[in-house]
Amino acid sequence: MTANSYSLAPVWFTDVAGSALIIVLSFLAVWFAVRLAKIQPSNVIWIYLLWLCVALAVFGVSRGVGHIAKRFLLLMDMRDVWLSLRPYSGGINTLAFVLVASITLFFQRIHKINTAILNDKEALEEASQEVMHLNRNLESLVRRRTEELSRSEKKYRRIFEGSMDMIFILDEQGRFADINRAGLDILGFQNRDDLIGTMSLAGPFESSEEFDRLMADLHFNGFVRDRQCRFQTKEGKEVFLLLSATSRRDASGTVVSYEGIAKDVTARLYMERQLQQAEKLASLGQISTGIAHEINNPLGVMLGYTQLLLKDHPAGSQIHDDLKTIEKHARNCKEVVEDLLKFARSTQTRKSSIDINQCVEEVISLLAHQLQMDKISVETRLSPDLPRVTADGEKLKQVFMNLLMNARQAISGQGRISVGTESDSGQRVIRIFFSDDGCGIGVDHINRIFDPFFSTKPVGEGTGLGLSVSYGIVQDHNGHIEVESRPGKGSTFTLILPIGEAGCENSAPEKKWNN
Amino acid sequence: MVIRAKISFFIILAYLLSDSPAAMAFQSHPGPEGLYAHQLAHIFFILAMAFLAYWLQVNGFTLERGWRLIQVSCLLLILWNLVAFTGHWVEERISDAVISGGPDWTQRIVVDSVWTGLYYGFKLDHLVQVPAMLCLALGIRSLYKQAAREEQSGDR
Repeated sequence: MTANSYSLAPVWFTDVAGSALIIVLSFLAVWFAVRLAKIQPSNVIWIYLLWLCVALAVFGVSRGVGHIAKRFLLLMDMRDVWLSLRPYSGGINTLAFVLVASITLFFQRIHKINTAILNDKEALEEASQEVMHLNRNLESLVRRRTEELSRSEKKYRRIFEGSMDMIFILDEQGRFADINRAGLDILGFQNRDDLIGTMSLAGPFESSEEFDRLMADLHFNGFVRDRQCRFQTKEGKEVFLLLSATSRRDASGTVVSYEGIAKDVTARLYMERQLQQAEKLASLGQISTGIAHEINNPLGVMLGYTQLLLKDHPAGSQIHDDLKTIEKHARNCKEVVEDLLKFARSTQTRKSSIDINQCVEEVISLLAHQLQMDKISVETRLSPDLPRVTADGEKLKQVFMNLLMNARQAISGQGRISVGTESDSGQRVIRIFFSDDGCGIGVDHINRIFDPFFSTKPVGEGTGLGLSVSYGIVQDHNGHIEVESRPGKGSTFTLILPIGEAGCENSAPEKKWNN
Repeated sequence: MVIRAKISFFIILAYLLSDSPAAMAFQSHPGPEGLYAHQLAHIFFILAMAFLAYWLQVNGFTLERGWRLIQVSCLLLILWNLVAFTGHWVEERISDAVISGGPDWTQRIVVDSVWTGLYYGFKLDHLVQVPAMLCLALGIRSLYKQAAREEQSGDR
C-alpha cells in the first residue's frame, strides 16, 4: 500500500465543534425534558426521559469537555496537565455510558408500572365519574324508582285487595302476615289487625290434623295445589276453601314465609250435596211410591175384612180383642204408608192463599204447653210484612210441627227455640227459620236426615219419616229446606218457599218423581 | 463442638490477616484494564440502545414523531458506539509515528495501512454522534410540544 500523508485538520475541527455541539444539544434535550416533566409531573415516562437526558448530558459534557480540554491543553503545550486529567475524563465517560445504559434498561419496567398506574387511574376516573353522575342524578333516580315501585305496588295491591278469593301471606311460624279483604270476609273478620301477627292459619282450620298435613306438604314439596280444606269462620260457620299455597325459602333454605290463595267453594259444595241429596231422595221417592201403593191396597182389604169380622163378634170376646189388635196395627201400617206417600208427594195438595205467620203461630200455640213443660222457651221473630203464599196450609203446619218437635227432642233440659220469618222481595221467596240450641246434628248424619226411616231416636220413638215427609211437602211447594248445624251448638232449619204461586193447586201426584 | 469450630475459624482469620503475602491483599490494575472497562461500557451502551429501539418499535411508540426520532437517535448512538469501540481497538494497533506535527490542526497522518485509514475515518465519530444527540433533542422537543398541545386542549 502506498503511504499518503493526510491533514488531521478535519478531525481536529470536527472534534472541537462536535464536542461543543454535543454539550449544547445535551442541555437542549435536558431543557425540553424538564419542560415536558413540568407539564405532567406525575408521568413517569417523562421523568424517565429526563433522567436519560441528564445521563446523556453528563456523558456529553464529560466527553465534550474532555475532548475540547485535550485539544486546547495540547495546543497550549500543557500536555502534563492533560495527561493528569485524561484518566478522570475517560473514567467519567465510562461511568456515563453505564449510567445511560442502566437507565435505558429500566425503561421497560418503568413503562409497565406507568401503564398499570394509568389503567388504574382511568378506572378510578371512570368510577369517580359514575359516582358523580349517580350523585347528580340520585334524587331523580330515586324519585323515578320510587314512582315505578309505587305504581307496581298499587297494581299488585289492587289485584290483592280486589281479588274475590282469599289471598294471604303467612310468616315462618304460620301466622298471618297479610290477608286481603275477601279473606277477611270469608273468615268472618272485620279488622285485619285481629288476624295479622296474632292468629295462625291453624286457627280457622276445623281440623288440626288437616292443618298439620298441609304444612308438612308445604315443607316437603314446597307447594300444595287445589286442596280442599274445611275452615270455620269467626262465627263458627263452616266454609270449604280450595287452597293453593307455596313456601318461600331464603338462601340457606330456611322457610321464611308462605303465600297462598284460597277460593270459597262452600256454595258449590252445598249445591252439589243438595243435588246428590235430591237425586237420592228422588230415587227413594220412586221406590216408596211403588211400595206404598202395593201395600196400601192389601192394607185396605185387611182393614175392611177386620171391620166386617168385628161386627160378627161382640166386644169382650177373645176374637174381638184379637181383631182390634189387627185393626190397630193395620192402621199404623196405613199411617206409615200415607207418610211415605206424602214424602213421595203422591198425595193431593189443596193449595190456597195462606198467611204463613198465622200457620206458625197456630203450631206454636198447639205445642206451647208441651214446650213449657220441657222448660223450652220459644222466641218468635215473625215479619209483619210477610206476603201471603199459595200453599197447602195443613201440610205446611205438619212440616212446622215436625221441625218444632225435632227441635224439642234435640234439646235436653232447658233450651230455646227461635222461629222467624222474613221475605226476600229480590228473590221473591219467603224464609221460615227454626233454630234450636240443642245437641246439633253430627257430620256423619247431616247428609242422611231427609232419608226415609233414618232416625237417631231409640227404636219405637220415631218412624224416621218426619223430615222425609217435610222434605216432600216443601218440594211439593217448589221450595226447599236448608239445614245448618254445629254439633253441640244447635241447628237451624230454613224453609224457603216461593212468593205467589207456590206450585200448582191440587197438583197431580206421581208424575213429579217421573220428571 | 460449635465453640471449638468458631475458635478455629477466628485463629485462621487472624493468621491470614497478620501474615499474608502482599499478593493476597489486592490486585494491580495496569493500563489495559481501563481500556477494557471502557470497551465493555461501549458494549453495554450498545445493548441498552438496541433494547430501547426495539422496545419502542414493538410497543408502538414509534407511531409518534417524537419517539420515532428518539428511536433514530438510539440507532445512531449504536452506530457511534460501534465506531468508537472499533476506533479504540484500531488505535491500539497503529504506531504513534504515523502522526506528525504539533498538537493542533496542522497535524498530519500517514495512511500506510488499512488500520491507519480506518483510524482516520473513525476519528470523525462526531459526524455520527452529533446527529444522534440532535435527534434526541428534537424527539424530546416534539414530545414536549405534543404534550403541551394536549394539555391545552385538555385531552390528557
